[in-house]
Amino acid sequence: MNIYLPIAEMSVNVAVFLSMGCAVGFLSGLFGVGGGFLLTPLLIFMGVPSAVAVGTGSMQIVASSVSGAIAQYRRNNVDVKMGVVLVAGGVVGSAIGVGLVRILREIGQFDLFVSLSYVTFLGAVGGLMLIESIGSIRKARSGTASSARKTGQHSWVHGLPFKMRFHRSKLYISAVPPALIGAFVGFMAALMGVGGGFVMVPAMIYLLRVPTSVVIGTSLFQIVFVMAVTTLLQAIQNKTVDVVLAVLLIIGGVVGAQFGVVAGARLKGEQLRFLLAGLVLLVCLRIGWDLVARPSEIYSIGPVLGGL
Amino acid sequence: MRAMSARWCWVCAAAGLSGLLMAGLVSGPACAQGAQIEIPIKKSSALRMGPRQPPVARTPAAPPAEGTQETIEADVSTRSVEVTTDFTGHEILVFGAIDNSQQPADENAYYDVVVVVEGTPLPVVVRRKSDVAGVWVNTSSVVFASVPSYYAIASTRPVEEVAGPKVLERHAIGFAHIKMTPAPGYQLRYNDYELAAFKAALIRLKQQEQLYVVQAKDGVTFTGRSLFRSTISLPANVPVGPLVARTFLFRDGEVVSADISRVTLERTGVERVLHNFAFRYPFTYGMFAVILAVLSGLLASAYFRREAR
Repeated sequence: MNIYLPIAEMSVNVAVFLSMGCAVGFLSGLFGVGGGFLLTPLLIFMGVPSAVAVGTGSMQIVASSVSGAIAQYRRNNVDVKMGVVLVAGGVVGSAIGVGLVRILREIGQFDLFVSLSYVTFLGAVGGLMLIESIGSIRKARSGTASSARKTGQHSWVHGLPFKMRFHRSKLYISAVPPALIGAFVGFMAALMGVGGGFVMVPAMIYLLRVPTSVVIGTSLFQIVFVMAVTTLLQAIQNKTVDVVLAVLLIIGGVVGAQFGVVAGARLKGEQLRFLLAGLVLLVCLRIGWDLVARPSEIYSIGPVLGGL
Repeated sequence: MRAMSARWCWVCAAAGLSGLLMAGLVSGPACAQGAQIEIPIKKSSALRMGPRQPPVARTPAAPPAEGTQETIEADVSTRSVEVTTDFTGHEILVFGAIDNSQQPADENAYYDVVVVVEGTPLPVVVRRKSDVAGVWVNTSSVVFASVPSYYAIASTRPVEEVAGPKVLERHAIGFAHIKMTPAPGYQLRYNDYELAAFKAALIRLKQQEQLYVVQAKDGVTFTGRSLFRSTISLPANVPVGPLVARTFLFRDGEVVSADISRVTLERTGVERVLHNFAFRYPFTYGMFAVILAVLSGLLASAYFRREAR
């Protein structure tokens, strides 16, 4: 059965897109990640215009993270004050990102920019995760326990102005670093159609030293609000949010995620991270290959956006 | 079913068009009851020959025996095509008749008929990538001010055999003769050779997207002395907008007569509502998208939590 997408302006097979949402949902359930970094490139490979893939991806992320965020909030795992600072930064970053999307589309460099961003971030995050997971697997085999988080250490982060007390995180730090992290993640969200958890979580742990117990909840809190704002901004400025496509992906995604969570419970943390790192690097290589390989067709056509 | 009713219709249309009043009266009601497709018999000359074409030369090389000029009259089976959420393309039938046909029988190939169906002309940007430090980057582009979004040709023979390039050029028949000029400024920036390469790429890419198509060998077929038909299949990705079907009658490589008919291609139903919603009320549409996402996320998790219990 085929369905015509009103914004992407293409006829797609419902079963294919449902199972694609399902597969991405499975992987995100398995690894406990948002899955935006898998979904957006997959949509682009399927022929969805990249701007529509990015805009629709943000809507799908709202749906896939909202229930998790509420569950974390109920368990008191959200530092709301920190979350608000992250969201405030995120909204600014997202607005800048959405504006940049418009400009890049007009000058015909959006696809390139998306690909470069993906290769950079996936390469960096995947590489680091691979090294870290190999290290922990080795340590687990040799029997030494992995070192716990070092607390009480002061870094340059603690010397900045606008200090705020974040009770839930037991931190007294400047509001500038969380706002900047939030802004950066919001910017990425708008450009790449990702939630940005894979950047925000390590940044909160290593830069801000937020306790791991509240990191996931707080980052989900930020993701839901920032992605909601991003969806709205993409719809207003770029008109690239396809609700029909999003609904297909959401339905597939929630079903897949249920199975992913079950499968994930059977694997060890460091094994999961190793597999995830492999997956991230594969996506990275696939996108990178398209950038450097000589294309079979060096010309492309598109509608004229903005003035002539 | 459709084929049958369509056949009825052009029989009626032809009968009416040939000016036989009696036949017209008799077949009129038959036509009305036989088909869902309305074929009004077109008598007005207002639609014929749009302003972009010069009047066709009325003095052919060999004047017809009775001293009357052949004229072509054509129409389409569907006046409006609806693009709905289950749109997967559509076939339109372009059919018609030749008045005062001198053709002894359908297999004589005395005439050639060429049908050109064109979509709305829109500006298109063609970009070219080049290798910049190992990465393929769009480095140059040409904007063509008005390019038909869709262009399909059907003809009794390949158009190159029907007429010479000058005639084809004059009537914009064939991909090479589609009127597309670079937007102001681009003519100065690139030389003719480069502009030709961009134009060729545009045509090639449109062909790959199935938007510029030549219908199969028997694009237009004659049945009898004066009746002809042609099917044009619009692909699922055909850009929404009005279509113009131009029908040309050729004899000895010259256009003897031409006719124009129009098809509207519109979004309808949910498809139209959502598209208009997104483009006319982007803020409300965005809010709707967010609320839809939140609700579906909550609903799904509530459902699965209940299942798990």
